[in-house]
Amino acid sequence: MNKALNIFFCVCCAFALAQTDEDQAYKKRILETTEVDFLSSYYAQKGDNAAVTGGIGTEELTDATAAIIISIPLNDDDVLTVNTSISAYTSASSSNGNPFDITGASTGRGEDDDDDEDDDDDDDDDHNSGNGNTVGTPWNASTGASKKDTWFSVGVDYAHSSDDRDFSCNASASFATEYDYTSVGFGGGILKQFNQKNTSIGASVHLYLDKWNPIYPTELKSFEEVNGNLTHGFFSGVTLLDQSGNTSTAWQPHNGFQLIQNTERNSYAATFSFSQILSKNAQLSVFVDLLQQKGWLGNPLQRVYFGDVRNYYIGNAASIPVYTSKQNTDVFQLADDIERLPNTRFKIPFGMRLHYYLNENIVFRSYYRHYSDDWGIRSHTAQLEIPIKVASALTLYPSFRYYTQIAATYFRPYEQALSTDKYYTSDYDLSSYSATQLGFGLNYTDIFTKAHIAAFGLKSIDIKFYQYNRNTTFSSYIITAGITLVSD
Amino acid sequence: MMKKATLLVIATLLFGSCAVVKEYEKINLNDPDMALSLKKCDGNLITAHAYREATVGANGGKTGGGCGCN
Repeated sequence: MNKALNIFFCVCCAFALAQTDEDQAYKKRILETTEVDFLSSYYAQKGDNAAVTGGIGTEELTDATAAIIISIPLNDDDVLTVNTSISAYTSASSSNGNPFDITGASTGRGEDDDDDEDDDDDDDDDHNSGNGNTVGTPWNASTGASKKDTWFSVGVDYAHSSDDRDFSCNASASFATEYDYTSVGFGGGILKQFNQKNTSIGASVHLYLDKWNPIYPTELKSFEEVNGNLTHGFFSGVTLLDQSGNTSTAWQPHNGFQLIQNTERNSYAATFSFSQILSKNAQLSVFVDLLQQKGWLGNPLQRVYFGDVRNYYIGNAASIPVYTSKQNTDVFQLADDIERLPNTRFKIPFGMRLHYYLNENIVFRSYYRHYSDDWGIRSHTAQLEIPIKVASALTLYPSFRYYTQIAATYFRPYEQALSTDKYYTSDYDLSSYSATQLGFGLNYTDIFTKAHIAAFGLKSIDIKFYQYNRNTTFSSYIITAGITLVSD
Repeated sequence: MMKKATLLVIATLLFGSCAVVKEYEKINLNDPDMALSLKKCDGNLITAHAYREATVGANGGKTGGGCGCN
């Protein structure tokens, strides 16, 4: 496949270079005036296969995101873009990193009288004193600290274009942070146009230096803190149950559970693109990414339960037989381990866009992507969006997207991983499934920017809605809105 | 070998027959909906896909870094 792609690109490049460039158009400013985009979205999902609770349990999550993108023309050729984004989410499954405070029984939340060096101080997920009333369930949200989080990012991009506009380059830097994750990124790219701007070839590279601040399942972190003594710390006064509902102190995480030593996760991406005008009404682009990731590529909060070891619980013994159903409201299974995945991953997504201008009212925007990686995942994505202009300033955007993927080699459903396995995860995002997405949107554009907000004219408004359904219990929707203003 | 040959044939047919479109003929191609780049207002949708699907990249969005996503 890689060799075939290489040949394909060689043909494309040879074609582009063989053409003469006769175009010397007038020099137009890359960006006439400062543009400001206000973007927002609301996302909600539900499902029954939460990874934090080992492949079963509620996946309910909501996320609200707001972003401001400011593009400033520094001169005729250079544009500086600053992108600031903030995202706030509430997640039932993430809250179940610590599921045991559902009744408020864990009155010692946040108390910490030990001297361990791993203190996060404000992390009541990690330091939760249990008692005899401690219960939890994978089917409801708890009040754990990881129930809510805020993701913040800022990115800066500087772009330069040559006088003839046939060549452009850019450099970018970014920073992002959330409760358990920090990222610093750098990138740059070049784009060359040929053949009277009918053909372009681009290449870019991006580097992300990310770091986990690991949050672990409460019982595993607590086990490590008390060196396996189940009468101390969180476990003091807590009754552990075996599969039969009898009191037991035999629970042991896999290999005694050790904290992650290497918390880094670095990503290296190289992107190659080719675009070609096919006719007065059609154009196409092809792009390939080569992505290499190294470091801790799993999520330390996500539990795994082995099928070949005994099960232990905290909570109501009578609910153990219905543990995997939503009838279970008051018992929680202690983790055998967190997910373990290789510390490298190489991904090759290959995408193609073909846009066709049917007439002044209708455009076809099609997209296809093939993806493969060395974890065994294969996927296909196909999308068609058909913008329909119903008035000079108003466009409708119906769309359909189909997605299907083959599971990672290491994926195991609840209780199907084995303690003898080297790698395992019960994250259903890495399972085999297919999904459909229906979308509908509206765009209002006023090229004359007659409406004004302060010193800015209103250029466009976008509102879109997408409904996403997997062929499992998972479904989600997202509403996005965007307003573009331009300075006078 | 067959795959390579097929790709070569497709590439030759697809691009070899393209006539150069002059700037003044690009009015339809310059329609904003014909742009081959990702629309800004779709950025959050792409990010949601990056979190919930095992696949990233080749769409102008995230490529796997900068978040705890897949």
